[in-house]
Amino acid sequence: MNIAERLRARRTYFDGGMGTLLQKQGLQPGDLPETWNLTHPQILEEIHLAYMEAGANVITSNTFGANRLKCDDLESTIRAAYDNLARAKARFSGDKDEIFLAFDVGPLGKMLRPLGDFPFEAAVAVFGESIRVAADCGFDLILIETMSDLYETKAAVLAAKENCDLPIVVTNAYDESGHLLTGADVPAVVATLEGLGVTALGANCSLGPRQMKTIAAQYVQCASLPVVINPNAGLPQVKDGKTTFDVDADEFSDLMREMAILGVCALGGCCGTTPDYIRKTVQKTRDLPFSLSESKRDTVVASYTHALSLSGVPKLIGERINPTGKQKLQAALQARDLGYLVREGIAQQDAGAHILDVNVGLGGVDEASLLPEAVAELQSVIDLPLQIDTVRPAALERALRVYNGKPLINSVNAKEESLETVLPLAKKYGGVLIALTIGEDGIPDTAAGRCALAQKIIDRAAQYGIDKKDIVVDPLCMAVSSDDNAARVTLESIRLIRDTLGVHTCLGVSNVSFALPERQDINAAFLAMALQNGLSCAIMNPCSADMMRAYRCYCMLQGFDPHCESYIAFAQTHPHKAIDAPAAAAPQSDDGETLPPLTYAVVKGLRDQAASQAKSLLGTTAPLDLINDQIIPALNLVGDRFQNGRIFLPQLLMSAEAASAAFDVVSAKLPRTKGKKEKILLATVQGDIHDIGKNIVKVLLQSYGYDVIDLGKDVPPQRVVDAAKETGATLVGLSALMTTTLDSMAQTVSLLKEQLPAVRVMVGGAVLTQSYADLIGADGYSKDAMGAVALAKRFFPAS
Amino acid sequence: MSGGLTLLTGTLDDCTVSRREALRYLGVRTEAPPELELMLDRAAELLKTCAALKACYTRLPLTISGDTLDFGAFRLESKALKKNLDGCCESFLFAATLGVGADRQILRLSKAEPAFAAVFDAYCSAAVEGWCNYVNAQLAEQETLCPRFSPGYGDVPLSLQRDVLAALDAQRKLGITLSDTYFMTPTKSVTAFVGIG
Repeated sequence: MNIAERLRARRTYFDGGMGTLLQKQGLQPGDLPETWNLTHPQILEEIHLAYMEAGANVITSNTFGANRLKCDDLESTIRAAYDNLARAKARFSGDKDEIFLAFDVGPLGKMLRPLGDFPFEAAVAVFGESIRVAADCGFDLILIETMSDLYETKAAVLAAKENCDLPIVVTNAYDESGHLLTGADVPAVVATLEGLGVTALGANCSLGPRQMKTIAAQYVQCASLPVVINPNAGLPQVKDGKTTFDVDADEFSDLMREMAILGVCALGGCCGTTPDYIRKTVQKTRDLPFSLSESKRDTVVASYTHALSLSGVPKLIGERINPTGKQKLQAALQARDLGYLVREGIAQQDAGAHILDVNVGLGGVDEASLLPEAVAELQSVIDLPLQIDTVRPAALERALRVYNGKPLINSVNAKEESLETVLPLAKKYGGVLIALTIGEDGIPDTAAGRCALAQKIIDRAAQYGIDKKDIVVDPLCMAVSSDDNAARVTLESIRLIRDTLGVHTCLGVSNVSFALPERQDINAAFLAMALQNGLSCAIMNPCSADMMRAYRCYCMLQGFDPHCESYIAFAQTHPHKAIDAPAAAAPQSDDGETLPPLTYAVVKGLRDQAASQAKSLLGTTAPLDLINDQIIPALNLVGDRFQNGRIFLPQLLMSAEAASAAFDVVSAKLPRTKGKKEKILLATVQGDIHDIGKNIVKVLLQSYGYDVIDLGKDVPPQRVVDAAKETGATLVGLSALMTTTLDSMAQTVSLLKEQLPAVRVMVGGAVLTQSYADLIGADGYSKDAMGAVALAKRFFPAS
Repeated sequence: MSGGLTLLTGTLDDCTVSRREALRYLGVRTEAPPELELMLDRAAELLKTCAALKACYTRLPLTISGDTLDFGAFRLESKALKKNLDGCCESFLFAATLGVGADRQILRLSKAEPAFAAVFDAYCSAAVEGWCNYVNAQLAEQETLCPRFSPGYGDVPLSLQRDVLAALDAQRKLGITLSDTYFMTPTKSVTAFVGIG
């Protein structure tokens, strides 16, 4: 019986703490415990043997920190760790078939991007290196443990899947609120790891058994796989300068018995526990009946913080991150301006979307590199599950790799080519598949035909080991203008598929009205009809008031809106009668000066008012005149006030945001050639993660109408150079906050000068000085954000 | 002999967050205009929803010879820290953090509302100082203390953070990690020596 079978067949016991035992034997705090594998093999062997004799089945190697970042001699350290286990097993007098040797994998000690500086793929590579050595040793399983970040957990699991065939058990470290350090709750972790195909999962470390009980209960409630719980011996406390734990072996084992009764399949310990804790746990739980938790049938997707069930209230999938028919988004994607995508995402989240569709397919862009970047950027600030939408397998795979959670995958269809490329990816990375009812002969024109194709996809997915619950069928809808029955057949299909196949459905709702007038009325009516027929997820624009009105009404009338709260809140903010755009107001007085209305709005930092003023003024004023006579003078005025200390940075930024909002409105009306703006590339240099200063410069430059391409923080020199080449930007702004990253700034400047001599470079940041800027060959230095604007004006005198 | 580690958790209600400090980070040296006060109110409310205040401290022995300070677990040369800890034969060492939730908010706001992002960032910086003051006050109940001193100041290099965080087991206990260039994540984190005596 291998460990995967053992975990499902009977209660399994993991061993307990290692560090505490080594410290008792003389390991000094701060020393790397893994070094003892080579220097004190006998002590390790005795500890392993003691756990075997206590009744533990899964015995973990002393390799928590055995990775290239922490440990110099990886190969011999891991081999020695295995040998220590193997010798103990050879000496074990009990049933050796009941002993399984686990290669222990702990966290890297690095925070992954975007919160930290460590790249996801680098983490996969570092874990992979250790796991390759382990795979060669003869371990029975990989135990990934004490992970407090879901993203790093995924990196470790992928590394294990790609470097060995061993069963993978994962235990995460939660805080008392039941969240990982980086925010994921238990259902999100379970959804993600079950999607990735691990063997068993659960929690360890951080908490004692008392605090971990609620977490264990959550696991049992939402996991289909065997649950493993390895708590600390209570919470640490300092007594006479020594750390001790507050739960003894008797109390620990009593509490572990409660865990077993809850339905936890595997029990063990972590910090502070000893063979005695495990022995008593075994004694008290051995005779309890064992039952595997039942397989859960709910369809669940997850972001990096939370899981979302597709049952119950119908879900909205925001469709706006898709360049089809959207010129602004197309331009943003071509310029790799991912900030635009993020703002679209935030707007949809604020409007009520539950999931965001992400599609960056556009002629002339490299989707395989852009899609994963877009996913990474969106999930750095938006905690909604994403729907990865592409027809390119390479782009899909790379996006699935970097996605942090369990995504929707849009899409697979019933054609062989699609089934053969998409299903293996869905199996490897996990996710809920959108199944389009398109076969080799197109879309059937009956509900029964579409249902049959859905069944075919479900069957094929099952052959790949993909559960039916992870499939959502999209029966598609053609334009009713080209086929009178288009909508009716789709509605019938939704109901038939739901009732006969027992799966969830989704639908892009707005196709139906193609080529007809007043499309929003049709879309809203069709949405309500589709929901009434059982639609689980509507792919639509949540910023459309008409669609949202239909959705809110449906939810309320269907009993999904307690006390009509959501409907009332929506109705109050979206009155039926459109509010007329305000007529250009009279000049207003501010601080003793009389200002034109748009100028006033910018000076006061009123974003919405600035945009609406610009809109109404465009009726009577030429776009360029608005910029030159109202927006720029406003910015100059606030710039002066800022320099004179009469207003402060936040107010300056508010004005800049208002000016940008007005600019967006006005520039849409500018002739193409006139609308072409000077490009400025901004980056915080490699190694530096402090980018607030750079962000401020960006906002100000944008407010002056420059086209700012923001590469973000911790940007390698070559990436800056490449981006300058790709975008044709002739001015690059670099920031660095700390002395430790000045070298990296110098390297970036010299690389730029070497490869793109015509590009100008301006630098800034807390530790920079004019003389250092001169020394590294920068063309300009600014001590603050207004100075950066002055530099830009100098480099682009025509503007 | 190195001491054990003591963990602390807290809420923003435990801390006094200096608005004056937050305003100073924003370059405001006079009385704040009312709209800024409103933004600070909003920052305070928002931080309550995403902060997870944690800290961890230990007590280290200290031997000073010349400019070398030996804390048992690690040693360094520094005139500035020596001056700060002169006459002490023990020191507390602590790390305190607002948690990663504040960083996430800052990331999001910097894309969505840059002006408020700047205010929130400054408020968080003031808040982590407030949290350090709370931790410091807990230590002051035990011993008479010197003023606290953080790596990165004077001639104490940021690279010392590696030893400091290791001695506090800060990655495991608090989730604080270090970049290759010695920045801490969560960014709103502070480490400090507090001499005893």
